[in-house]
Amino acid sequence: MSVFTLPQAAKEASLVKELSDLVAHHRAACAPYRNILAAAGTPDTFDQVADLPWLPVRLFKNLELKSIPDDEVFKVLTSSGTTGEVSRIYLDKAAAATQTRQLGATVQTVLGPKRLPMLLVDTKSLLKDRRSFSARGAGVLGMATFGRDHVWALDADGKPDVEAIRGFLAAHGDAPFLIFGFTYLVWLHLYEVAREHGLDLGNGILIHSGGWKKLVDQAVDPDEFRRRLSADTGLRNVHNFYGMVEQIGTIFLEGPSGGSLYCPDFADVVVRDPETWAELPPGKPGLLEVVSTLPTSYPGHVLLTEDLGVVHGVDDGDWPGKRFSVLGRLPRAEARGCSDTYQKAA
Amino acid sequence: MRIRFGAPASLDELTAPSPDRLTVGDPRVVDFLARFARKLLVPAVARRHPELASLGFFLRPAELARAVTHMQRTDDALVFPRGNVFHIPPANVDTIFVYSWALSALAGNHNVVRISERSATAADTVLEALNATVADADPVIARTQRMVTYGRDDAVTGALSRWCDLRVIWGGDAAVETIRRQPLRPSARDLTFPDRTSWAALSVAGWQAAEPSARRAAVTGFSNDAYWFDQAACSSPRTVFLVGEPSAAEAVQREFLELLGDVVAERGWTVDAAMAVEKRVNAYGLAATGAATALHFPGNAVTGIQLADVGGMPRRWIGAGAFPFATVSSLADLVPVMTRQDQTFSHFGFPAEELRTFVRSLGGRGIDRVVPFGSALTFSSLWDGYDLPHEFTRLTSLQI
Repeated sequence: MSVFTLPQAAKEASLVKELSDLVAHHRAACAPYRNILAAAGTPDTFDQVADLPWLPVRLFKNLELKSIPDDEVFKVLTSSGTTGEVSRIYLDKAAAATQTRQLGATVQTVLGPKRLPMLLVDTKSLLKDRRSFSARGAGVLGMATFGRDHVWALDADGKPDVEAIRGFLAAHGDAPFLIFGFTYLVWLHLYEVAREHGLDLGNGILIHSGGWKKLVDQAVDPDEFRRRLSADTGLRNVHNFYGMVEQIGTIFLEGPSGGSLYCPDFADVVVRDPETWAELPPGKPGLLEVVSTLPTSYPGHVLLTEDLGVVHGVDDGDWPGKRFSVLGRLPRAEARGCSDTYQKAA
Repeated sequence: MRIRFGAPASLDELTAPSPDRLTVGDPRVVDFLARFARKLLVPAVARRHPELASLGFFLRPAELARAVTHMQRTDDALVFPRGNVFHIPPANVDTIFVYSWALSALAGNHNVVRISERSATAADTVLEALNATVADADPVIARTQRMVTYGRDDAVTGALSRWCDLRVIWGGDAAVETIRRQPLRPSARDLTFPDRTSWAALSVAGWQAAEPSARRAAVTGFSNDAYWFDQAACSSPRTVFLVGEPSAAEAVQREFLELLGDVVAERGWTVDAAMAVEKRVNAYGLAATGAATALHFPGNAVTGIQLADVGGMPRRWIGAGAFPFATVSSLADLVPVMTRQDQTFSHFGFPAEELRTFVRSLGGRGIDRVVPFGSALTFSSLWDGYDLPHEFTRLTSLQI
C-alpha cells in the first residue's frame, strides 16, 4: 500500500477539485479567512492548484483561524517558533483521526504494514520538559505510534546511551527496525556513536527531519549524510521528511534513492517566484507553498511557507509526481526603525 | 566600555567632576562642529550615505548660529549649559545620535553618547569624521565630549545615569522603560523619545488642482519619507488619509499609488522576499479582523490597504512600502483619532488655514510636527514636542 501513486496530471486534477471545495468550505466556515479572500479579490473558481489562494503560514501565529465551532475543538496543536510566537492549529475529532491515519499511510510506504521495533534518537526527559514538549516532543510522540518496543538512544542528559543502543540492537538488530529522530541528533548522537563502537544499523529504516542548518556548519549535506551512514554503519534505508504543524498529518517523504522529497497523493508543493508570485518551473528555486486536502477544521490547505525550495523534476523519480528539496529558510524581515529596544541592542 | 570618540578614560574618570567649562554657543564647539560638518559634505561621503549630507547641512555655520541665537533670552534670564548629558540613541537610525549630541554640545554640555554595538556603517563614518576633526580641535572637546560603546551592562548605564543632569533616551517605549530602572540624581531628569507613529494626508481637492508635475513632485517627496528607513522611523508616514469628497477620493488614490509605483521603480527601490512576506502577513492580518476591506499588491515594493474606517489605522509597523488608506471628508474628522503617540503629519494640497485650524483643534493632544511631503524625516531642533536647545540649557534669573 502506498500514498505515492498519482502521476502529476491525475493528482493536479483531483487536487484542484478537492482544494477548491475546501476553499469554499473554509470561506463559509471561517470568517477571518472569508475576509482575507474578499479583501484580496479572490475568485470562486480555480483552474489549477497554483491559482488557489495561499495564506502565509505565519498567520497561524497571529490569528485564531478555525473552521469549526468552539465546542467541536478536540485538540489544539501548538508549535513554538524561535521568536516565541506560537501557531495554534484547531482539530476536531474527524480531522485528528484523518491526520493520524494519513501520516500512518505515508510512513507505511517505507515501513511496511507492521509496527517495527523502534529506536528513538532522543531523550525520554524531553517529554518532561514542558517548554520543548510542544515542538520536539510532539514530533517524537506522533511518530512513536508507528513503532513498538521503543528504546531511547539518549540518556536523561541528552548524551548517547551506548548500552541502551547495544541492547536494542541485540534484541532487534537482525530484522527490520525503525529509527526516528531529528537530523542533527541522528548525526551527532547515533551516527558518530555507531561508527565509534562498530554498531551495525544495516536492518534499520531511518526516518528523520528537522533541517540541515546545524549540519551544514559541519559540512554535512544530505548526500554526505546518506553516504556516510551507509558506509560507516550499514544504514541504507534513510528517509528525510518535511512537514509542519500547520499542515499536520502531511509529510513530504524522501524516496528510497535519496536526494528528493515526494508529495503524497493528497498533497503537493508549488514553488513561487518571490518577486512575481508566479509558479516557477523545475530547477528554479523560490518560496515553497504546500497544499494538502487534510486541513478541514482550519484553513491550512494552501500555505506559503517561509522556506526556500526547488522542484527537481516531475514524474521522473522513485515515485510519481513532483520531487523537490528544501533549501533553507527565508530570513525574517527586520526594519531599521527608531523603535529599537535597549535589551536587544545591548 | 570602549571609547569611540573623545579622550581615553575609565568609567570612574569619565564620571568624575570636571574642571572644564564650556559656554552656550562656545566658539570652540562651534568651530569643531562646523569643521565636522564639512567632512560630512564631502561628495564621496554624501554619495555613500545621503543621510549624512542632511546632517552636514543641519550643522553648517549659519544653522549653528541660528540655534545659538535661539538659545538666548531677551528677558532677565541668563542661559547656561544644563551640565552633564547622557544620550542613549537608537541602534538602527544611524544619525540621530549626532543631532541629539551636537545640539547638546552647542549648548555647552559635557556629553556621553552610548553608541550601540549594532550601529551601522553610517555611524562608523560619523565616528571617523569626528575623530579626524578632533585632532586639530581645542583639547577641551575631547575631554568633554565622548562617544562610548558597551554591552548590556547595567553598572555602566547606572553610573552614567547618576552622573548626568539630563538623560536623553531614544529608541522607543521598551528602551525608555528599561533604562528608567536606573535612578537619576534627584535634580536630574529624562528626556524621552517613546514609540511614535506618523501619518500622511492628501487633500483630494488639492491633488485635483495640482499640475501633473506638482503631483509627481509630491509623490517623490512622499516616497523619500516612506522608503528611506523602511517606513519604520518614527517620522515615516504609514497610513495615508485622503481628505475630501469621498466619490473623488478613489481615483486620487489610484493615481497616487500608480505614481508611487513609478517613482519607486525609477529609484530601483525593491523589497526582499522576507519583507514581501512580512507585508502579506500584516495585510492579511488586517483583512482577517475586518480592519481592511481591500488589499492591492501591484508589486512587492508597494502594498495598498483599504481601511474599513478611519479609526482602524494600525499604529504598529506593517512593513516597508505598506500603505493603508482611509478617506475622511475634512481634517476635522481626523482630530478625534489622533493620540499622544502620533508624531508627524505630512501633508499635500491643503490651504494653510485648514492646517492651522487642524493643529488648533488638536490642541497639542496628538501630533508634534505638521510638515509638507518630503520633509517628514528632516530633523529639526523642535522634535517630539520638545524645543531641544531649551531642554539642553538651564536658566538663571537675575533681578537687580
